[in-house]
Amino acid sequence: MAAILTEYLDSFVRSCDDKKLIAIPLAVLVLSLLVSGFVFATTGAPVKLGMEFEGGTMIAFETQESAEALELAYSAHSIVDARKTGDRAILQFGPMDGESQSEIEKAITSKYSSVEIKQIGALYGKELQTQALIALCLSFIGMALVVFLIFRTAVPSLAVVLSAFSDIAIAIGFMNLVGIELSLGTVAALLMLIGYSVDSDILLTTRVLKRRGSPDENIGRAMHTGITMTTTTLAALVVMYIVSTFSYLVTSSVSQINLLSDIAIVLIFGLVADLMNTWLLNTGILRWHVRRSTPRRRRT
Amino acid sequence: MREEEVPKGLKNDIRVWLLIAAVVLSVVMIGPGYSAEEGLNTDLNYGLDLEGGSWIQIKLQGAVTQLDADISMLVTEIVESAIDAPIEIISVTGDEGEGYSNDGNTVTFTTSTYVSGLQMDLLGLGASDISFSDDTSSIVLSTNKQTLIMQYLSKALNTEVVPLFVGDGVEYEIRTAVSLEELQTLMVPVGGNVLTGSGGDVIFREGVRTETRDMTRDILSEKLNSLGLKDIPVRTVGEEYILIDFAGTDLTTAKEIVEKPGKFEIRMQTTGNESVHVLYGDSIEKVGIVTQMDGHWNTPFTLDEDGAFALQKIAIETGAIADPNSHLLYMYLDDNEVYGAPLSYSAASALDEHPIYSWQASTGADEDGKTQADQLQIHLRAGALPVNVVLMGSGQVDAALGDQFKRQVVLAGLFALLAVAVVVFRRYHQKEILLPMVGTSLCEVIIILGFAGAVNWQLDLPAIAGIIAAIGTGIDHLVIITDEVLYEGKLPSTKVYMERISKAFAIIFAAAATTTIAMSPLVVMGFGALRGFAITTIIGVLIGVLIARPVYGKVIKVVLDKAE
Repeated sequence: MAAILTEYLDSFVRSCDDKKLIAIPLAVLVLSLLVSGFVFATTGAPVKLGMEFEGGTMIAFETQESAEALELAYSAHSIVDARKTGDRAILQFGPMDGESQSEIEKAITSKYSSVEIKQIGALYGKELQTQALIALCLSFIGMALVVFLIFRTAVPSLAVVLSAFSDIAIAIGFMNLVGIELSLGTVAALLMLIGYSVDSDILLTTRVLKRRGSPDENIGRAMHTGITMTTTTLAALVVMYIVSTFSYLVTSSVSQINLLSDIAIVLIFGLVADLMNTWLLNTGILRWHVRRSTPRRRRT
Repeated sequence: MREEEVPKGLKNDIRVWLLIAAVVLSVVMIGPGYSAEEGLNTDLNYGLDLEGGSWIQIKLQGAVTQLDADISMLVTEIVESAIDAPIEIISVTGDEGEGYSNDGNTVTFTTSTYVSGLQMDLLGLGASDISFSDDTSSIVLSTNKQTLIMQYLSKALNTEVVPLFVGDGVEYEIRTAVSLEELQTLMVPVGGNVLTGSGGDVIFREGVRTETRDMTRDILSEKLNSLGLKDIPVRTVGEEYILIDFAGTDLTTAKEIVEKPGKFEIRMQTTGNESVHVLYGDSIEKVGIVTQMDGHWNTPFTLDEDGAFALQKIAIETGAIADPNSHLLYMYLDDNEVYGAPLSYSAASALDEHPIYSWQASTGADEDGKTQADQLQIHLRAGALPVNVVLMGSGQVDAALGDQFKRQVVLAGLFALLAVAVVVFRRYHQKEILLPMVGTSLCEVIIILGFAGAVNWQLDLPAIAGIIAAIGTGIDHLVIITDEVLYEGKLPSTKVYMERISKAFAIIFAAAATTTIAMSPLVVMGFGALRGFAITTIIGVLIGVLIARPVYGKVIKVVLDKAE
């Protein structure tokens, strides 16, 4: 699959001019920014905040009862949502005082088995929000600095930073579209994305700037390596996503591992965006830069 | 792991041996073993989400600030509310500046009611000299500003306020939740304000001093130990959080342990329903085992020096040494009375001479007395938390679920590796490349796990996600090396090969540097779960770049040479 994709992409990149190459990913970027901007305007956050950032209580356990029955049973408390995957029920409560909290916990732990509880105070959630935002910004700035230190030229460095930014923006836009909440797991995934996305960009930029041969040739070779890298990672992530999310289809009592499932799905979409951003956006900018700054005879 | 497959040409390479040593050492650290009861087991520590247990995160409420106020207004506010009559300030002597003064101040004031020496002493402002004539009390009070502010605030907020001298100023630690606005409002009647720093911003921060935080942590730790819960880690997170992991305990029990008992205090009755503070639980040094003496059940406990002197001082001041039966000793837990009894006559008369360190709280002769003594033992031993705390977050994963997560994670890891292997094989169609690549990845996993075992790290789900992230970038890097070596489709001469390897490593180091930098904010900021994730990712990337991947570069050359 990777080979077909590489071949197709390679010939597409060769046949298109730089403007067109750059235009496609930029359009997607603008679209995702619009989606997130709309969400920001309506909710005050660029992506729906999960329980860890909003505050509240999540309780999961094994039961044969239906989600509706459970929602009714705990309707006296500030229940927000009740879901079931296989034999596991997941109840989501809004913030509540310590006493009713303990009461519910006691009731559920004594009645059901395989109980998982997670409770975050609203104040602490707020604090986590700020910290996550700071971490994300610092990570991005740190990454940008390292990239500038490595290449020491403005345009190629900017191209790398722009495509990393675009990866994250598209991943967030995707989260909004599909309805994935921001959790500690998804924050981790966005940070990981910074690391992963830069890998292939650095490979591309190094190959094009520091190798002899025509830009198109170098791009083609880098693409060969880069797409292999991304597809291996994608393969691992898809497997991780399936195992952590859909194991209950095999054995219905098995729980989802939300943290790994969140990380995997956001990374999968981030990396698909990265394929586009690296091999269209970054490549387009880089090729334009190289052709502009080297004599015409280099052109093929 | 793959040492027996290392071809001869590599035997002289120190990096190869380094990798082998690291892998062997790691295997020792992981300590895999097999026993009939437990099946396959290792020395690795697992986090709560894989082992089962619960965690609780609490926030210490408080504020640290610098304040100033007017001395005569402070005295007026404090004394008037205590004696219920207006006073008139005659004079204030001494330095009235913001800073700390050793000399203190002398405040002279008069009032139209009778004021007793005891009344003044109980305010805790300092020594006073009272004269009463012509229906007017004239009082000369030796005090200082920090004591006045401290007493004023602790009364107004009903909490402990601890002044500390910092540089040329006084810092007040208020041990309950108070906002800047509340504090500012509170300072208005005493002509005071919250001081501003040189930059023009107010000197006020929420939270408590590091020492107070650590004291709270230690008291909690001790409390857990005394309940027989050894090895329960009580950690501080940031300046104002304390995180407690209860392995193998459910959340309900964990909360009960942490929440009750809470703030322990001994007070002594003054008159009627009034009582005065003697000491907090942190003055209780040792609590003995419940014993029966003369048919009565007893909980013995020992006070530290401060506590023993405080008790003597108060007993003398309230008159308990002369008349114990009208000055009972009360013990409070979270402001609920848990014990109340008079001093014994022998103790009362002894206190007249010297402080007493060893005490026994007698509870009665019957079965009820024994139960009460047992309860009291826990309350006393628990000690007081010096600050108010509030639950910020908590969680629980029960052991069966943890076990299931563990199995699932291993399964996910194995399948992921398999998927990667399939993609790599489809790309290169050579098992000579596939085997070293997968082998290198496995080595990296083993070394990361070995490292975790060596530093006694708790492997939890975020940490495992970190390992997966490190391995993911690892495979990427191995692909870069491979493609670089096979740049023109064929294996080059050694000289060209070395050049290419260094080119490949230039890319890899750059990529590793960005990943490390991108993760480091999380390590420093230390917010709970993601910290473990960031640290494992960084360690994994470093192990890969410095130990495992260079060897892969060597091995792939030898292996491909042979294949050709």
